Amino acid sequence: MGRSTSRQFRFGRAQLEARDGESLLAALARRGWPSLVRSVRYHRPRGPMCGVGDCTGCLVRVNGVPNQRACRRPVREGDQVLTENSWPSPRHDLFGIADLLLPHGLDTVHGLRRPAFLTGTYQRAVRRLAGYGHAPDPPASATAAEPHRREAEVLVVGAGRSGRASAEALVRAGLRPLLLERRADAVPVDGAETLAGTTASMLAPPAGGTDRFSLLGFDLDGAGVVVRARSVVVATGGYDAGLLFEGSDRPGVVTGDLALSGVGLPLGPSVIVGSGERARTVVERLGKDAAAVVAFGDIGPELVRTAAELEVPLYPRSRVVRAVGRGRVRALEVARRDGAGRFRLACSAVVLAHRRLPNDQLLFQAGAARSWRDTPGAYFPEVDRRGRTGVARLFAVGSAARPAGSAAPSADELADAVRGQETTLAPSPPELGGRPGELLAYYRELLRERRRGKWVLCPCEDVLLEEVERAVERGFRGLEVVKRYTGVGTGLCQGRYCLPEAIVALAILEGRPPTEVGFITQRPPLVPTPLSALAAVAGEFATELPP
Amino acid sequence: MTFARRDYRAVVVGAGIIGLYTAYHLARRGAGPVLVVDRGFLSSGGSGRNGGGVRQQWETRGTIRLAREAVAAYRRFGRDFGTNVWFRQGGYLFLAEGPAELERLARVHEVVRSEGLPSQLLTAEQVAERVPGIAPGSVVGGSFLASDGTVYPFPAVWGLYEAVRALGVEVVLGVSALGVRAEQGRVQGVETSAGPAGAPTVVNAAGGWSAEFSRACGLEVPNVATRHEILATEPMKPFLDPMVVRASDGLYFSQTMRGELVGGLTVPHEPGTRRGVPSSPRFVTAMARALVGLLPRLRGLGVLRAWAGFYDDSPDGLPVIGEDPRLGGFVHANGFGGHGFMLAPSASERVARAVLAEPVDLDPKEFSPARFLGSGAAPSRERLQLG
Ligand SMILES: Cc1cc2nc3c(=O)[nH]c(=O)nc-3n(C[C@H](O)[C@H](O)[C@H](O)COP(=O)(O)OP(=O)(O)OC[C@H]3O[C@@H](n4cnc5c(N)ncnc54)[C@H](O)[C@@H]3O)c2cc1C
Ligand code: FES
Repeated sequence: MGRSTSRQFRFGRAQLEARDGESLLAALARRGWPSLVRSVRYHRPRGPMCGVGDCTGCLVRVNGVPNQRACRRPVREGDQVLTENSWPSPRHDLFGIADLLLPHGLDTVHGLRRPAFLTGTYQRAVRRLAGYGHAPDPPASATAAEPHRREAEVLVVGAGRSGRASAEALVRAGLRPLLLERRADAVPVDGAETLAGTTASMLAPPAGGTDRFSLLGFDLDGAGVVVRARSVVVATGGYDAGLLFEGSDRPGVVTGDLALSGVGLPLGPSVIVGSGERARTVVERLGKDAAAVVAFGDIGPELVRTAAELEVPLYPRSRVVRAVGRGRVRALEVARRDGAGRFRLACSAVVLAHRRLPNDQLLFQAGAARSWRDTPGAYFPEVDRRGRTGVARLFAVGSAARPAGSAAPSADELADAVRGQETTLAPSPPELGGRPGELLAYYRELLRERRRGKWVLCPCEDVLLEEVERAVERGFRGLEVVKRYTGVGTGLCQGRYCLPEAIVALAILEGRPPTEVGFITQRPPLVPTPLSALAAVAGEFATELPP
Repeated sequence: MTFARRDYRAVVVGAGIIGLYTAYHLARRGAGPVLVVDRGFLSSGGSGRNGGGVRQQWETRGTIRLAREAVAAYRRFGRDFGTNVWFRQGGYLFLAEGPAELERLARVHEVVRSEGLPSQLLTAEQVAERVPGIAPGSVVGGSFLASDGTVYPFPAVWGLYEAVRALGVEVVLGVSALGVRAEQGRVQGVETSAGPAGAPTVVNAAGGWSAEFSRACGLEVPNVATRHEILATEPMKPFLDPMVVRASDGLYFSQTMRGELVGGLTVPHEPGTRRGVPSSPRFVTAMARALVGLLPRLRGLGVLRAWAGFYDDSPDGLPVIGEDPRLGGFVHANGFGGHGFMLAPSASERVARAVLAEPVDLDPKEFSPARFLGSGAAPSRERLQLG
């Protein structure tokens, strides 16, 4: 296929062109900053945040199917793309009035009860506020894509750095691994079969008389993918976490993943939040667009050096207070943690690169255990030094398994472990390093801030910090209960961007350690998975996920 | 010391919708001190894992009457308890795939109508108007009752939790009831993981664990816990009003206030009460096939999450309400199968009456625990175990 081929597609009424293999978001970003969607309840302006297919900032309707992630979807010839949940457009949305009329949000638990004769009207209004898109159109053709089935000795999920290294080592060790990668542009590994553009969604451990794990996934056409494998290496990498502050949901607040994704979003002058290697990589990538670096604590020496070379000012021991701007960030308000005042940094983007968390959900589905680590303030899977989890023949490597900078097995050590028949070792206790509890201290200061606008804890479902506070005040404690009470963690990102923050915020509000706030039982699938993909492989599973 | 008192008028085991509603009715009747214990968090049992369906279309008249009262209670819930349960009367639509199912629905329809409820039999075209996008030829007709609907279960639990506490009921979470203390065939109190609590009555509202608790108290019961799974899709703008239930396999789904389609398949039961209640690829894929078969337009829609919970099934499909003849003061409030949420407001009122030894206006052949103790088969049976 020629590199220069282009694709024609429609965006609303406009006829646009995309390069071969380009994502919808990348194609749209060439026309400027893309405003694609409004938030669910209050119709707040939202923008692409993660660039990796996990947030709700780039949802569009493609060919009659709602909730498609523009950043994940390669443009196909003739695609019909529409925006939703706004009128007349996401940039100028009349429903945005909801945000202004409801400064403290809508209390759907206790409000809207009187007068009783309005019950029906309230119901229709609240129902109308739900959901991003309209129900799918009837399908053009009756034929569903054929599912793909694979058997493999070893399955490696994720073709990032550590997934590729593992696959290569397994090949050297004489095995022929199957490598699964959700990005469409994954480069194949010699000697391994590579399934690019394939997203894993459920992983069940061996059960019902077989010795195989069953993995369920789907490809870019919505076709189901079933892999049976004797051993599974989870190398799904990490992601840059969100951060809660006033305006943290504003368009222009993005994660390091987006900044590094190659989507080519016009970020412009950007403030980078973070102190370590990840922030350094972002600064290097943004080059002259890196306007400043803000960090909770001290800034690492490598980042100091890179920033000095690029003449980027550094603000260590500082706290992000507020993103200023509505349709797009205009400035970031920052407070010195020593109380020496606050200031504004003009910018058009804020890049969050302060805390990298594991994409570890697949591991928990298959029965691996997790434990809390004070540094960086999050749960991590329990994985030993050779990549073994507590589940036989289930391995985890790279950022999916451990915090950045901690000891990792070499790819060859892993290959030995995969080939080895010995039973699993007890997972080693989590190593603690850095400054434990720093995140908690940061949030404690942040939650003392006087709040002017909405603090959106869960952007997918527009859940406000206030709602969580109300729940705690009324005696509803613990993450499981607060999740049901407020809806935090039940949106399309499957809790990736709100639960880690909610755990820390709840710990402070309830006055107990994060480990006592609890964690949420994994409710599969990992990512919204098309019904067609699941339907196509019905009847092929005898297994259950472990408790 | 976990409990505020040594002695109570009644101890309720289980803070699900049944236990909390029972406590509410007891408090409202001035029963005296009531203690509710639950070993989990609020909504950890069936009451936090269900589909929120509320229907009055049943084969047995007793159940129709209870359901009808419950509908009135859910309509008032926001005003009575201060929380919105978003009871939305979009109707329950039963689908018939063939003449046999249609005949069965017609029989139910007759009973329902004779109880004064305006249920309707629908043609395939009328069904298609109410289920936009239904695959042509997939049904021959259906039955519909417009006043049936759905509630959002969690706030019902929270509202009751707050209401009973305001009425002086003590609710202690994280405490297991281990058994009862009995003398001369009468309950004297409950043993719990936090120590004993004295009471002349104990209510077994332990949902899927009710048989386990009865047995711990020395009472053999025929209830069986079965695991049922359910899933939610991505949210969409409203397009579907009724709760849809297919008569053949019990496929059911409705569109919630949040826009998600929530539903499951009634048929594959699995006995057991393993904790942790995982979901399985088997269910998710089977459910997906059933859904897209019926509504092909949903093909590209994503499944967002799936979970599982327990039905507490009695042998005849009817709840078990009342004092156990073998142990004075041991009151059953269980066996609700897949329908405890919709019957809770009215059924629990009867439970409270049984606790207070007041007359209960339920047919003992249909509801009393004694019906399983006699010889021969139970004389009544509720077969519409769908959705
Ligand atoms: C998937 C699914 C879908 C459903 N759909 C519907 C529907 O659409 N409509 C409907 O009406 N119903 C539905 N149901 C059924 C409904 O959820 C139940 O009938 C109802 O919630 C039962 O309420 P409960 O209070 O009896 O039990 P639960 O809510 O299960 O509460 C029992 C409580 O007892 C506690 N407990 C148990 N043992 C002990 C002990 N020894 N000590 C202390 N505490 C204990 C448990 O922790 C639990 O919290 C559904 C159920 C499931 C699983
Ligand atoms: S930017 Fe596309 S999903 Fe986050």
